[in-house]
Amino acid sequence: MYYRMKLSDKVRVPPHRLGEALDKVILDVLQEQLEGSIDKEIGIFIGVTKVLNIGEGEIIPGDGAVFYDVDFEALVLRLSLQEVMEGLVVETTSFGAFVSLGPIDAMLHVSQISDEYISFDEKNSRLICQESKRFIAVGEPIRSRLVTLSLNEREPRDSKIGLTMRQSGLGTGVWLEDDMNKEKEKEKGGERGSQ
Amino acid sequence: MQSYTRYERARIIGARALQISMGAPLLITTEKCDPLEIAIEEFQQNIIPITVKRK
Repeated sequence: MYYRMKLSDKVRVPPHRLGEALDKVILDVLQEQLEGSIDKEIGIFIGVTKVLNIGEGEIIPGDGAVFYDVDFEALVLRLSLQEVMEGLVVETTSFGAFVSLGPIDAMLHVSQISDEYISFDEKNSRLICQESKRFIAVGEPIRSRLVTLSLNEREPRDSKIGLTMRQSGLGTGVWLEDDMNKEKEKEKGGERGSQ
Repeated sequence: MQSYTRYERARIIGARALQISMGAPLLITTEKCDPLEIAIEEFQQNIIPITVKRK
């Protein structure tokens, strides 16, 4: 889920930027430092939006920089297991599909797509379900549940996030629509039967 | 002007000289180029924006 959080931290303002407007410098430093980074407890930083309060500056021996206590507002994505997320397919391979969740990509393994046998169509880069002929192609919206979560704070790109679609209510946009239509037809049929 | 002990004076001038050597903007116009000398001059004019937190 996405959160707008109020956080506080010590911010190092380098000496060569001391002449500029302090709030702007601090915002710049925070944005450079945090955006795109991952903290296991807080989540994935998407952006620092506002500097709320700047406290007293401190000068530490051996460093010409000034350290400020700053309260700021940030937008973060905190993933949790069992969370249902929507994303876009960015790449398909023989072993599954990569799904962009926004700031980070997740992996949808072939074994987690459907109960059916899945084959990979290399020419069209699609993953096709053998029996129902449903497929997943690049660019499709997907609704899936988060089942594995291993975030790497140092190398955000090495984080491993696993998804599953083997549950009702999950799938690509087209599948969900089909399921919905089927369900509606069933309902209609039921009504007729009772009359 | 506030009076400082010689330790405080050394700390303020030292910190300011380091800032200047790392590219902080100057608060005076001077012909000197040694950061330490510039810091001393700024200190004498009492315009260094550093305060001492005494316990």
